[in-house]
Amino acid sequence: MRWCLGGSLILVVVFNSVSAFGQAMVEGRVELPKSHSAPVMAKRYEIVTSGGVLATKPPLAVVYLAGSFPKPTTRPTKQIAQKDLAFLPPLLPVEVGTRVEFPNLDDTYHSIFSYSPGKRFDLGRYRPDERPIPSEVFDTPGLVTLRCDIHEHMRGLVLVLNTPYFVLTDAEGRFRLSALPSGHYTLKAWIDSKTTRERPVELKSGATLHVDLP
Amino acid sequence: MSSPAEANNSSIASFRTKLLVAMMFVVSGMIALGLYLAQRNVVASAHRDLQQRFQAELSSLHKIQELRHAALAERCGELVSKPRIHAALEDNALDLLYPSAKDELRDLMQGEEPSQEQAASSLHARFYRFLDGTGAILPPPNPKDIGELNTETETQLALKKLPEKEQIGYFPENANAADEIVDEVMAVPIFSTETGDVISALVVGFKPFEVVSDRADAELKSGIWVNGRLHLPSLPKRAQLVLGNEIAHAVTKSDRARNNFTVAVDGAPQLLFYERLNPDSLFPPAYQIYVYSLADSMAQLQRLRWQIGGVGVLLLLAGFVASEFVAARLSVPVEKLAVDSEENRAQRKRAEDALALTSEELKRSFQYSADASHQLKSPVTVLRAGLETLLAREGFKPAVYHELSALLHQTHRLTGVIDDLLLLSRMDAGHLQIKLEAVNLSLLIDEWLDDLGALPDSVDVKIEKKFPAELYVAGEKRYTSLIVQNLLENARKYNRPGGRIRVAARKETDEVVLTIGNSGRPIARAAEERIFERFQHDFSGTGVSGHGLGLNLARELARLHGGDLRLVRSDTDWTEFEARFRIAQTTLDRASQVA
Repeated sequence: MRWCLGGSLILVVVFNSVSAFGQAMVEGRVELPKSHSAPVMAKRYEIVTSGGVLATKPPLAVVYLAGSFPKPTTRPTKQIAQKDLAFLPPLLPVEVGTRVEFPNLDDTYHSIFSYSPGKRFDLGRYRPDERPIPSEVFDTPGLVTLRCDIHEHMRGLVLVLNTPYFVLTDAEGRFRLSALPSGHYTLKAWIDSKTTRERPVELKSGATLHVDLP
Repeated sequence: MSSPAEANNSSIASFRTKLLVAMMFVVSGMIALGLYLAQRNVVASAHRDLQQRFQAELSSLHKIQELRHAALAERCGELVSKPRIHAALEDNALDLLYPSAKDELRDLMQGEEPSQEQAASSLHARFYRFLDGTGAILPPPNPKDIGELNTETETQLALKKLPEKEQIGYFPENANAADEIVDEVMAVPIFSTETGDVISALVVGFKPFEVVSDRADAELKSGIWVNGRLHLPSLPKRAQLVLGNEIAHAVTKSDRARNNFTVAVDGAPQLLFYERLNPDSLFPPAYQIYVYSLADSMAQLQRLRWQIGGVGVLLLLAGFVASEFVAARLSVPVEKLAVDSEENRAQRKRAEDALALTSEELKRSFQYSADASHQLKSPVTVLRAGLETLLAREGFKPAVYHELSALLHQTHRLTGVIDDLLLLSRMDAGHLQIKLEAVNLSLLIDEWLDDLGALPDSVDVKIEKKFPAELYVAGEKRYTSLIVQNLLENARKYNRPGGRIRVAARKETDEVVLTIGNSGRPIARAAEERIFERFQHDFSGTGVSGHGLGLNLARELARLHGGDLRLVRSDTDWTEFEARFRIAQTTLDRASQVA
């Protein structure tokens, strides 16, 4: 993962704060790879591999602002459930240091593990009613592939980012990042395990920047 | 006579011997051929039986092997689809590969080595290794857990490239040590779940399944040939080495997946079968080897040969006896023939001697007759000349003239007799050659009848003629004329005054029949048989002159011409002779020409 040291201005960022003064916003559209499948009404996404490339299907992108930001003291715990022998959500972007829980919502055993260099862990076999819910803290930026030792087809991705500013696009690739600090940054779009697009941006306080990542 | 008889006996004996030898030759030849064919048939069928038995065993083994390989492949395929192994390979965590596999493949390596009987169904592995993307061995961090191998064997497990499907290979371990073993190795490709490419392969080593017991005295021994070496522990090391070379030779010479040939191990013949264990494998070719001792079947075959030989000898003896018998039977008529011919020869010799004697006598008698005739002819001629001179002289009394004339007539008769005698003697000696021509018999008869009428002492006889104008017979004219003359003269001579002569001739198929009959006293019944003999005459007692040669001469001449002369009848006042002549062929030709 690369990121720029965009500027010297350090801002305190408050998540989910509604359009506070001095905060910038970026919106736009990421050109997603053409999906050959019909539009998914059920919105069920899955991780597919094609030619060694891991991506969601239908395609989604994670747009995030790369830069140097102060580390928050606490981060909310996220969840990736196993439901219907699949990871839900299949792709989860998290900030470094986030704890992710893996609740088993199926009525069978799962055994979640990862051999990815960024995060190796093995939760072992556990039942749906396993308490506490097995969880892991992802403290190295990078892409982590989740597998189930019992269900070999199951794949999940955790994109560990070194930034608090990230968002998943919708199925058309549209995104909106708000409550951003102003300054010079790089806007990046993770499209699949091999493809990340980026664009330098200059964020001005109170302004909404429109950026398309083709 | 004794030496030819001995020669005969010896030649008969040699004939019999030759016959016997020839028959024995044929008989023994046929027996030899029959026995040879029978023996060949037996050998071929024994060989075929053996082969079929082997083929059956091989194919059953083949099925077992196939099942086992399928089971191994399925097991290994299951193992390599383990998510942790895939994760280790795909998520760039090779350091976790063997530790993960240790867990995942634990049951593959666990437990005691199964016994011989369970080996076929057991999937107990001796070792396993992973190959990297180039086909090289991924070095295990702790070989003890996954089956230790010496470096030589381990490097052999590497492939030039990763396989697309399971590969079977065979590798001897501790090749030169006493406890040499051969591992059956299966390489299973591992396909990436992300790219679908082969990213690795799991190589698992098993103890090969042995169908045949390896007792040293077993008739059938099995082993594996790989890398030019034979692994067949029940055979001594040296024999293994020799056989290994033989197999290497056979395998390089023919690319057949299975074959067999006969080899000698320590002088004992063995039937060796080989079959490729891992066709189309990336591993070095390995062959399952079966060595079947032919000693028993050879002994059996030898026994059979002896039996056949014994039967052959018996047959030969029987053939000898039969030949002897048949030869004896066959030579009996030949012997008889030889004896008969000997007798015949003696008889012939006697006959020939007699014939020579007779011929000599005949010749002499002919000579005598001829000489006598000539001796007689001269004085008769002188006599006749004298008489004619006297008759021409005048001044004798008429009675003297009459006497002279009678004497002259007698000289003419004498000449006639001499001529006839000469002719007869020539005929008797076989010296008379007849030149056949077409003679007009009718003309001849007419001429002689004219002469008859002109004779001075002609009696008053009436002549009846009944023959066609032209009747041609085959003969020499002067002799045919002589026959006709003789018969006509007789007819006139023995006639009575006022009698008659009847001359008739007719054609009868290929003969002309001339009958001349005359009235007058008949020939005495007792004399009828003798009238054709020489110097027989006056059978009618008429006192008519004749020298008794005429009828004999006529019959001889007629027969010489292929015809005959016989008395047909002689009864009250009628005597009739019949002469037969061969019809002249040219008559027909002539007739047709005239027509």
